[in-house]
Amino acid sequence: MSGETRIRVRHVTRVEGHGNIEVRARDGRIEKIEWQVPEAPRFFEAMVRGRSWDEIQPVVSRICGICSVAHSLASLKAVEDAMGIEVPEQTDRLRLLVHYAEQLESHSLHLGYLVVPDLLGVKSIVPLVSSRPDNLRTIIKIHRTANAWMELIGGRMTHPVSLLVGGFAALPSEDDLVGLKKSIQEVMPELEALADLLLGAADKLPEFERDTEYIALSHPDAYTFYHGDISSSDAEQLVDIHEFESVANEYVQAQSTAKWARWHRDSYAVGALARFNTNGHLLGTRAARTARRFGLKQGCVNPFMNNTAQLVECFQVAEHGLELIDELLSRSISQEKPEVRERAGMGVGAVEAPRGSLFHRYGFDEDGRCVSANLTIPTNQNHANIQKDFEALVPQIIHRGQDEVRRTLEMLVRAYDPCISCSTHFLDVRFV
Amino acid sequence: MGRTPQAETVVVGAGNPLLADEGIGVCVVRELAKRPDLPRGVDVVEAGASPLALVHILSNRRRAVLVDCARMGRAPGELCRFSPEGVSSLKRLPGLSLHEGDLLTSLEIARRIGECPEDVVILGIEPEDTSFGSQVSRRLHGKIEDYVQAVLGEI
Repeated sequence: MSGETRIRVRHVTRVEGHGNIEVRARDGRIEKIEWQVPEAPRFFEAMVRGRSWDEIQPVVSRICGICSVAHSLASLKAVEDAMGIEVPEQTDRLRLLVHYAEQLESHSLHLGYLVVPDLLGVKSIVPLVSSRPDNLRTIIKIHRTANAWMELIGGRMTHPVSLLVGGFAALPSEDDLVGLKKSIQEVMPELEALADLLLGAADKLPEFERDTEYIALSHPDAYTFYHGDISSSDAEQLVDIHEFESVANEYVQAQSTAKWARWHRDSYAVGALARFNTNGHLLGTRAARTARRFGLKQGCVNPFMNNTAQLVECFQVAEHGLELIDELLSRSISQEKPEVRERAGMGVGAVEAPRGSLFHRYGFDEDGRCVSANLTIPTNQNHANIQKDFEALVPQIIHRGQDEVRRTLEMLVRAYDPCISCSTHFLDVRFV
Repeated sequence: MGRTPQAETVVVGAGNPLLADEGIGVCVVRELAKRPDLPRGVDVVEAGASPLALVHILSNRRRAVLVDCARMGRAPGELCRFSPEGVSSLKRLPGLSLHEGDLLTSLEIARRIGECPEDVVILGIEPEDTSFGSQVSRRLHGKIEDYVQAVLGEI
């Protein structure tokens, strides 16, 4: 192709936070391809230092307005690990339930409000208000159900107040759980409608494949979002979550204020597709059926299919959420009083946030004051992979013209559902 | 479902309290919520800066009183009562974030999906200062009682 291609997207729209795309090519020869993160670091790891163990969750919840439950749970698990606290089974189940609410809330927001406009060829959901009110009603209803679900268990819609180290500050009543069950049952047809909408536009997802290392938590008995150890598609053995730094191997790049990560290769991916590739054989009936409808199979290496994997997970969390409610109701809700004995120590918590594996590590002194913190966020772990995808994809599509290249790269970034604000970190560097 | 109450009438304070007078709606409803003369059967809700959250708040309501900062070309601090049909938005949205938009966008979405209350009143308050800051300007702060009375007059 002759002529110059010069793409500078500042900033990519319909993602959380600020990221830039830069591509420069001349006569078909590519000179520069960059996924850039220019956002300012936020210093959360420094903010928690000196704070008491019971102040960690309310602070780190604020890392993200979309995945505040995931950050809360990772921090609670880390504090419990450090203090040697065993969590009762009821708490474990209720945490999983609120964690599922957040997966549904986040995925439906991403798919409904951020991805659907790409598939329908509009700039945002606003034009759909008049052209497709039924589709919009479906998206809003799913999102609303998830919000109310989070509020019911977490005490409020965002930044939960009922989740404590060792237990809950307030428990849902059995009537609450019966109501929740009904509303999840009622949202199932809406999920089917969303699946129909996405399936109708599935041909708009580019056919692009790049062999990729996928990382997710793995557990032998469950399509896990909360338990288990670290699995890689490149390794046979699981890695204990306490060794997460040896998985992420974070490093800095000049083009990004967010750290990058690599393990067996020069990049890896986390998120819904990574979880599907790792644990897809453990999906529930409706989730597995949805994967089949879209032709999604374990071993998929098309990053655009992360969108589809998110849809599959919407069914998974709704389906397993109903089972959890039945399980909780069968035993009736009992009051639990968490007891914490402060002690010095180091703890790690890991969960699958909607966007992928999330790791928190904290150290505490004998008074229970935080002396160190290290948080590894899903989007950090995806930045390098987005860059590598860019480098593989652009040569394949450069002949399609500047607008099409830009649009496809924006779609690729969106497929990762990046939460860039979460991923910007304090950089500890030395100039050489 | 959820813990948010669902009365027929809702008073909503919208805006971003980190942008001084932009948060006046939130400031007014916080004051209103403390009032012993607040009628029963009225929910008072902070909507913050998310147009979609407002859509959820408005569903299943008969009447909504919305309090928000509004650039109307009036004197700073002046309160104007109007209906959604009585104004048009001058905002041009760059499409960067779901936090963009305004009350009118939310009301239009709610109307299109059949969830808009039949009776909607907007109390717009002309700002003096919308720069970064967690407090409203002195001028608007001095009028909060007037604004609260205006809301009470609507419910």
